[in-house]
Amino acid sequence: MDRTAERLLGSAERLSRDPETEIDWDAPVGDGYGMSPEWSTLYGTPYWDELTEAQQRELTRHEAASVATTGIWFELILQQLILRDVYDKPARSAEFQWALTEIADECRHSIMFARATERMVEPAYRPPLLARELGRAFKAIASGESAYAAILVAEEVLDVMQRDWMRDRRVEPLVRTVNHIHVVEESRHMVFAREETRERLAGAGRGRRWVSALVIAIAADMIVSSMVGRQVYANVGLDADRAVREARHNEHHRSLLRTSCANLMDFLGSVGLLTPAAARVYRRTGLL
Amino acid sequence: MTFVITGECCSDASCVAVCPMNSIHPSPGEPGFGTGASLFIDPRTCIDCGACADICPVDAAQPAEEAAPEDVERNAAYFAEREALEATDLDSWEPPTYELRGGGPRRVLVVGAGPAGMYATRELLLRTTAEITLVDRSEQLGGLVRFGVAPDHPNTKQIIGSFERIVRHPRVRWRPGTEASALPDGYDAVVHAVGARRSRRLGIPGEEAACTAEDFVAWCNGRPGAELPVELVGPRAVVVGNGNVALDLARLLLSDQLAAVSPAVRRTLAAGGIKQVVLLGRRGPDEAAYTRPALEELLAVAGDRVELRYHARPTAWTSEGLTLDTGETIAAGNLFTAIGFEGQRVDGLPFDAERGIVPNVRGAVVDRPGHYVAGWIKRGARGGIGVNKACAQETVATLVSASRGAASPGS
Repeated sequence: MDRTAERLLGSAERLSRDPETEIDWDAPVGDGYGMSPEWSTLYGTPYWDELTEAQQRELTRHEAASVATTGIWFELILQQLILRDVYDKPARSAEFQWALTEIADECRHSIMFARATERMVEPAYRPPLLARELGRAFKAIASGESAYAAILVAEEVLDVMQRDWMRDRRVEPLVRTVNHIHVVEESRHMVFAREETRERLAGAGRGRRWVSALVIAIAADMIVSSMVGRQVYANVGLDADRAVREARHNEHHRSLLRTSCANLMDFLGSVGLLTPAAARVYRRTGLL
Repeated sequence: MTFVITGECCSDASCVAVCPMNSIHPSPGEPGFGTGASLFIDPRTCIDCGACADICPVDAAQPAEEAAPEDVERNAAYFAEREALEATDLDSWEPPTYELRGGGPRRVLVVGAGPAGMYATRELLLRTTAEITLVDRSEQLGGLVRFGVAPDHPNTKQIIGSFERIVRHPRVRWRPGTEASALPDGYDAVVHAVGARRSRRLGIPGEEAACTAEDFVAWCNGRPGAELPVELVGPRAVVVGNGNVALDLARLLLSDQLAAVSPAVRRTLAAGGIKQVVLLGRRGPDEAAYTRPALEELLAVAGDRVELRYHARPTAWTSEGLTLDTGETIAAGNLFTAIGFEGQRVDGLPFDAERGIVPNVRGAVVDRPGHYVAGWIKRGARGGIGVNKACAQETVATLVSASRGAASPGS
């Protein structure tokens, strides 16, 4: 573990990015897409085809802001999980120092996302109350592999979308830069989370693995289903009931999500966290 | 330090997708991708995050300080003539591509559980909601990865682990030891991923007394029912062929440390007493199909016990040895042929005997609606394990758009 942590610390030295100075926060923001339109929860549905291009663009900006808000929510949970995990570890160890580096990264990312959403759209988004309350419990009690694998799930789901958006010339340049900063730093975090998950699971019995697998799957479901809610559609002036209904049955979106999360599912499978119960949850969420 | 990709690279490009700095090339779509050679990491832009190593299905991506100097050198050399990409300028990246998903078939039959069939199954699971029946006439999945890759390359065989997880997916029905013809009809589409297992022949007198790469590697890997068809007679053997399989053969014959093979195979190899191998290329070294890491590995194992000969055309094989068109005879006890594989006719499908493939357009079998091909039977016996990923993706994309009907965009 310490070798991985040492390498990651070295990598952070080679390339760490400071959104505070690297992004010109006073520059005017254009009217580009907030995300690749294909990633919109409505893309591929009849409703999408009825919207004007301007409406589609506006919808993606709100969806991206809402997803970024979910990112902030989860980064808060994550910081607390890591802080609790390293609370009594020796401060000189690379693992400890890397953990604090990661918290610092996440802290900067949350501020960056907050500022970017402020620049992009008017209303502020928040995850639904149920997710917030479950998150409150989760960050207070989760530990070991449940904590690290849940971190991994949240980061990876966000990461795969952002990799597409950052390369897409139709997307607003501010969003592209923000996403690349996040992708670079998250790649280190995900390597760390995988390694921690593997290590914590070594020697775990079947019962514990079963419980952890289910907890992680439920966390994943919570994260994915909190990303874009009815408020987003309402704010863009859509019929929220219809939008929610069509988004829920959007097989294009589910397939895109499933494809993007294939590596994640492969990892969970390889460490024995894809138990039948967990797999059922992932199928319902649309990740498997 | 940075990461490097070693010679065991499978080229399935999962690492390209996770690199946050666009440091890994050639990526799918770039010239040079899919030729079977390795991928490379640009040491000038790699930030050493390790994401590539984490995802690599065959453990070929390694920290530079743990890799062999040749590998470090090879990765750097690939980029020597190219300018470093400025990853923070996102317009220097390939833009993402999207296809409309959803719809598609309900029931699909995939024939063959080698890499092409497994990648096709995975892609169908991701792209569609279809229920997939996967059959293979063997009792085990993996195809040539299990029974064709040299047994002393255990890292390459690790990919079987991810194949095994695919068949456990709730939407997959895995039927090992089954012939496709034994199944009832009723599939919306059939993907034939049956490979090209039969060894190509030299077409010279006496060849029936030689041993083909197919037979030798199957025996070495312990494929059920596989036997060595010849008696090994030392001290010298000739291997005809200049691809990586030929090099595998030479290495297995000369290696003193074969921990990964069964004791029976080890005993037979030792008793055969083969101490020298002549590796015969019918063309020149520039046209050889082997990769540099494979050649380096062979030379490291065999040293001066292997003799490389090029521009040599065999004309006959007798108990005296192998006669060349120059009249010279290379005295040897065994002849091994590893000059490539060719596909065999699939019942009910058209066949291009010249190229050994089922004629197809982007995976759709010509004049046989509902039938598709992937892997070597689609494009000929070229390209390593991972190349099958892009190949299967193309076939599944064709399959999905065809079954979506006239309403699909772009159709």
